[in-house]
Amino acid sequence: MNYLIALCLGAFFGFALNKAGLTQYNKIVNQFRFTDMAVLKFMMTALVVAMIGLYGLRGLGLVTFPPVPSTYILGNLVGGLIFGIGMALTGY
Amino acid sequence: MNWIFKQIRKETWSPYAAGILLGIVGILAVLLSNALLGASGAFENLAGLLGKAIAPKAFDTLYFNFVMPPGITWGVILLVGVFFGGMLGAASSRTLKWGSKDAANSDPQWKRIFGPQVWKRWTLGFLGAIILEYAAGIAGGCTSGLAISGGMLLVPAAFLFIAGMFASGILTALLIYRKGY
Repeated sequence: MNYLIALCLGAFFGFALNKAGLTQYNKIVNQFRFTDMAVLKFMMTALVVAMIGLYGLRGLGLVTFPPVPSTYILGNLVGGLIFGIGMALTGY
Repeated sequence: MNWIFKQIRKETWSPYAAGILLGIVGILAVLLSNALLGASGAFENLAGLLGKAIAPKAFDTLYFNFVMPPGITWGVILLVGVFFGGMLGAASSRTLKWGSKDAANSDPQWKRIFGPQVWKRWTLGFLGAIILEYAAGIAGGCTSGLAISGGMLLVPAAFLFIAGMFASGILTALLIYRKGY
């Protein structure tokens, strides 16, 4: 049952990515050139919607948050720095 | 009803509309499965599974035993869904390139910068993906697993990651495009 949910949610995830055009090289790399802001608009909209929904639901006592990604400043920052290189090269 | 079909057939939506859809998917993932969306972790689960089968000694490490235990996890199934969802999205707007001539290297901007050769696209894609996965391993997640899933729970790690990603992404794009930046 859990796997069925994962499959369905994954399908919607992929659908949203495709419709936002993020499956294309030019969308990703043009974000870093600031000629096309689609990536940032897409990500931040998703963040805001999910934030409102999740914190609202938690306020109502309907969900408990899963274990969150841990913060270790150097690792996150260095990882991000290397990640950006790969992202700008491949557009994935 | 007609309006809905017309929207689905569109090639690209406004990023805001697609973002709202992803936000709802993110909420449902927590609500229904108590899990976070992510992509890079699933690849590590699969790599662990493969590694344990081929070279059990080399993969008997702290990382593959405890941080990223191998197996067919929720995230792996999610990835399968992402694959088919993406295909469905492309098929609905008739931009699915399966089997077409330029399917292996289809992006006009890529061709202009690096050349039309397919092997270049695939080599750089492969090497770049190694960089991506390695970096995601260090940081603890990728764009979806850390930046979006972490960000929506207001985890500081996500915003550090986004800052790093943009800093080096801008620099790399600058180096590639030079005058054309």
